[in-house]
Amino acid sequence: MTMKEAISQYVKSGDTLFVSGAQHGEPSAAVHEIIRQKIDHLTLICALVISSSLLLGEGLLDKLLTGFMVQDEKRSYALVKAKAMNRYPAIEEYSHFGISLALFAGYMGVPFIPTRCQVGSDMPEYNDNIRSIECPFTGGQLGVVGAVVPDVGIIHVQRADVEGNAQKWGSLGVDREGINASRKVIVTTEKIVDSDVIKRDPNRTIIPGFRVKAVVEQAWGAHPLHLAGCYNGDMIGVMRTAMGDKQNYEDYMENLVYGVSDWNEYLEKRRAIAGDEYFKSLEIKNPLFSEPITTGY
Amino acid sequence: MDQDRRTGAYSDTDQMIVSAAHEIRDDDVVYVGVGLPMLASLLAKYTHAPNCKIILQNGIIRTSSFPLPMGTDSLGSQTLAEQLDGLFYVNCLGQAGFISAGFLGAGQVDRYGNVNDTAIGDYHNPVHRWSGSGGGNDVISFCGRTIIILRQTKQRFPEEVDFNTCPGYLDGKPGQREKAGMPPDTGPAVVITNLGIYGFEDREMTLRSVHAGVGVTPDQAKAEVGWDLRVSSGLTDTEPPTQEELSILHEKVDPAGMWAGGRAQFNQGSNKDKA
Repeated sequence: MTMKEAISQYVKSGDTLFVSGAQHGEPSAAVHEIIRQKIDHLTLICALVISSSLLLGEGLLDKLLTGFMVQDEKRSYALVKAKAMNRYPAIEEYSHFGISLALFAGYMGVPFIPTRCQVGSDMPEYNDNIRSIECPFTGGQLGVVGAVVPDVGIIHVQRADVEGNAQKWGSLGVDREGINASRKVIVTTEKIVDSDVIKRDPNRTIIPGFRVKAVVEQAWGAHPLHLAGCYNGDMIGVMRTAMGDKQNYEDYMENLVYGVSDWNEYLEKRRAIAGDEYFKSLEIKNPLFSEPITTGY
Repeated sequence: MDQDRRTGAYSDTDQMIVSAAHEIRDDDVVYVGVGLPMLASLLAKYTHAPNCKIILQNGIIRTSSFPLPMGTDSLGSQTLAEQLDGLFYVNCLGQAGFISAGFLGAGQVDRYGNVNDTAIGDYHNPVHRWSGSGGGNDVISFCGRTIIILRQTKQRFPEEVDFNTCPGYLDGKPGQREKAGMPPDTGPAVVITNLGIYGFEDREMTLRSVHAGVGVTPDQAKAEVGWDLRVSSGLTDTEPPTQEELSILHEKVDPAGMWAGGRAQFNQGSNKDKA
């Protein structure tokens, strides 16, 4: 399936959307496609996802559930732009663990999960999804976080088969909880591999194919973030665009989001702007290989 | 934005990082965030605490040192970790009592160690906004000893924070954290600033030492808090950095001067702007 088809079929205006990749391998290509298709009134839940700034800046969010505003109050034009359009989203604030717990409860199929974080803080006063209860076992006070079940979740992985059996490695942020909590799942992958590759290393599967609606092959799909085993990130580039000033932000939107029809064109344009050496410089210089594991009987 | 205070060989930022490193023990499992805490933990690792375990919020658990990342996660900070999992996993370790120390940058900190990383003024119409909790609330809620790092001004040290993002000892009365649902034997242990080091006596922030090596006096430290500051009976001068610590910090931990080079906006223990 193409990215265009996957996004238009499975991400709808008004959806609650989970975006994976907390500082590691976010689905940048997919987020750019959502912006091009102007899918709006989204409720977004994520942790430390840089491209959330672009969704926010383009006025596509009604609500943002977050532990940490990656947008900088003073330097991010995205915030200014959303405010100017009167499209600044309602913000529901958690701690990072709180976000992962809300998703974990969704993943478990239970209405809430108890915790010892966020209690005693002022967060519950402004977030109805964080409360305290009396522990039914000890009688002590216990924090609880309500479940969040995203309508659709998007994850970018290193490899998946055509069925959508998806494998991600490296640090996982809130990926496992978020993608497994999501009702509909879109997998974008650096590479579509034979299902045999998946089945010989099944512990690495983060979500099984039967839970996945769409699989899209997209090389460099997490750029400018890094992705374990695939490429390094370009943090300076990230800062300049998603968190940058008006000039940088609008140039980026015009040239690299609205000015291209898909991610391959984005990559070509990046190459044209930054030179042939740019993608080469992000390649992994000293790859390390693990021992193969043994399965079979 | 105030400038680094510098006397001879080192700046007050160097002193903050080195003092923070001194708080890490060789047998610690330490939850580390972006910026100065990262520098302090790597410095500790290269000096007196080579065996400490470093936990990064994205799910990285490691003993060996690594190239300084711009945030917390990079292929450098992932590579050769003992374990890579997720944010949920590492926080479960903390909540269940297996993380002995944690670092916290702060927008504001008050008399009882409550930290504001959210907003100054009215929450819905703030005078100033910070990024919010991030992992900060999690760290202070359940790590054994929380070490808070920030540059000190009177505005950043109010008697009571406007918004309590990361609870310290709440109103200072005994047992308040446990009553709210936090585990026992947790909470802020130390506050390290560009002026001095503060401990907590009877849950109240107490001046423990001043950075005399960069010319700070106790009166200067006292002038930059918003209440009548308690001073420890054992008040001393802060142990200054050694030449070895300074060269490891600048040549090995942060050779590019990414953080320790005095980038003022990053000198507060996290990417939080000044109030």
